[in-house]
Amino acid sequence: MAAIKRISRELAEFNNNPVAGISAGPVSDDNLFKWNICLTGPQGSPYAGGLFTLDLTLPTEYPFKPPTLNFTTKIYHPNVSNDDKGSMCLAILRSDNWKPSSKIIQVLEMAVGLLIEPNVEDAVETSIADEYKNSPDSFKKTAREWTNKYAK
Amino acid sequence: MAPSRSSRNSLQSVDLRALDYLTSPSANLLCPICHAPLITPVQTRCLHTFCSACISLSLERSLTCPVDRKPLNHDDVTPAPIMIANLVNDLMVLCPNREKGCTTSCARWLVESHVREDCEYATVKCAKEGCDGLVERREADRECVHEEVECAFCEGPVRKLDIELHYGECPKLSSDCRHCSKSFLNPELAAHKLICPDEVIDCAASHFGCSHSSRRSELDEHLTHCHFVALTPILQLHTERIETLELENKAIRQKLDLLVPPRPLPTPLSGTSNSNDSSSLGRDMTSEMQDYTYHLYSEYEQLRSDVERLNAQVRELDVKQDMVRFSEGLRYNEEMAGVRAAINGLRMQLHWLVANRREGVTAGAGAGAARSVAGSSAGGDGRRMSDSARQVVKL
Repeated sequence: MAAIKRISRELAEFNNNPVAGISAGPVSDDNLFKWNICLTGPQGSPYAGGLFTLDLTLPTEYPFKPPTLNFTTKIYHPNVSNDDKGSMCLAILRSDNWKPSSKIIQVLEMAVGLLIEPNVEDAVETSIADEYKNSPDSFKKTAREWTNKYAK
Repeated sequence: MAPSRSSRNSLQSVDLRALDYLTSPSANLLCPICHAPLITPVQTRCLHTFCSACISLSLERSLTCPVDRKPLNHDDVTPAPIMIANLVNDLMVLCPNREKGCTTSCARWLVESHVREDCEYATVKCAKEGCDGLVERREADRECVHEEVECAFCEGPVRKLDIELHYGECPKLSSDCRHCSKSFLNPELAAHKLICPDEVIDCAASHFGCSHSSRRSELDEHLTHCHFVALTPILQLHTERIETLELENKAIRQKLDLLVPPRPLPTPLSGTSNSNDSSSLGRDMTSEMQDYTYHLYSEYEQLRSDVERLNAQVRELDVKQDMVRFSEGLRYNEEMAGVRAAINGLRMQLHWLVANRREGVTAGAGAGAARSVAGSSAGGDGRRMSDSARQVVKL
């Protein structure tokens, strides 16, 4: 199947050229469509020092359909839904924005970028987005508290 | 005479996309869709290059370029320059039978003919006439391994190929137990494995956390003082209870999800029913059911608000009606009072008149008869006149 070949090729590529702060791999060898992701909170962001786990789900139509990214660690962020799903709103993951040439590692790098600088235009948690815009200090404080509480 | 080796072609097909390359190829030669070096490269109008098969798959789903999302048609895809095709075809690949032992590496355009004609490890048809079996090319000239022979012990038919495997299962042969090294006939070995006293097994409560393991013959002693075993009944009970609670919780959550919709309800009911129908076609059953539930729920909400509005209207009407009745009653009451007063006035006048008349009759009894006659004749004439007119005349 084309999807499996492409995914295993991306996995091999990622294992050969690992990216600092990102660890990723399939949950099990017989199912390449579910990945466990670990991100370390980027330095200079209120998430620094935290370890965030995510689930990456690839559709069987990959790479023609986009993957989905869910935070399993609770995180205080305008672009991550504050529920048990923890779904992340990434612009390139929307089906009208997705391109088959995009790679998983690019998605993960975008996710790290979003931790450094949230995108308030694309927010799912509007109250957090408002706080980020209007009182960044209180936002940073809560984000740091949550990081200490849930991501250690 | 069997056909010579060189004339016997392999039926094994080569999947070009699964090949391993001797050196990792330049990223410029990779297809953006399958991330493998291009296979039959084609070029789009926007000058991007893909495998022919990959871009066809992509165009089946969306008529845009997978790299820049510009509109793209099947007609906009043409073969890529020959130079690109040559570059990828010249890449050195390893033989797909590498795992079986072939060490050959060759240019990619040669690999198919290598497997078809040369590779010692490629599967070819068995040399024996009429045999459908497959063997590796290097063994093709030996005698056929697919014909059935008789097992020397159980006398059953076995393929020559499988004879080693058969000896491990043959009911007439015995094998050694792996744990106690005693010898048993094959059919009895399975039963023995369940009770072998020398096998090292885990404590019966290992799934509750006991890490003890020992030989089966010595385990009984451990079981008598293992805390986990002692706690097993209660732990079992708790596990079961948690499971039932989890199930219950799940059911309740589902019910709750149905009752409390997580997103706002569609408000204009007539409009959404149509768009719901068309958009739910592609979705799976559950989301269709959910949509239906939301739809019903919104309908129910609408009906409830309708009923509430009607109730309020009825109440308002009631109040209005009461007011009207009350003011009308008041008006009638006043009128009645007026009429009663008028009647009273009339009665008073009548009394006065009657009393006056009576006085007049008694006082004027001795007055002249002529006057009385004139009075009576005048009374006779005026008998048809109304009382009041008579009174006025009399007064």
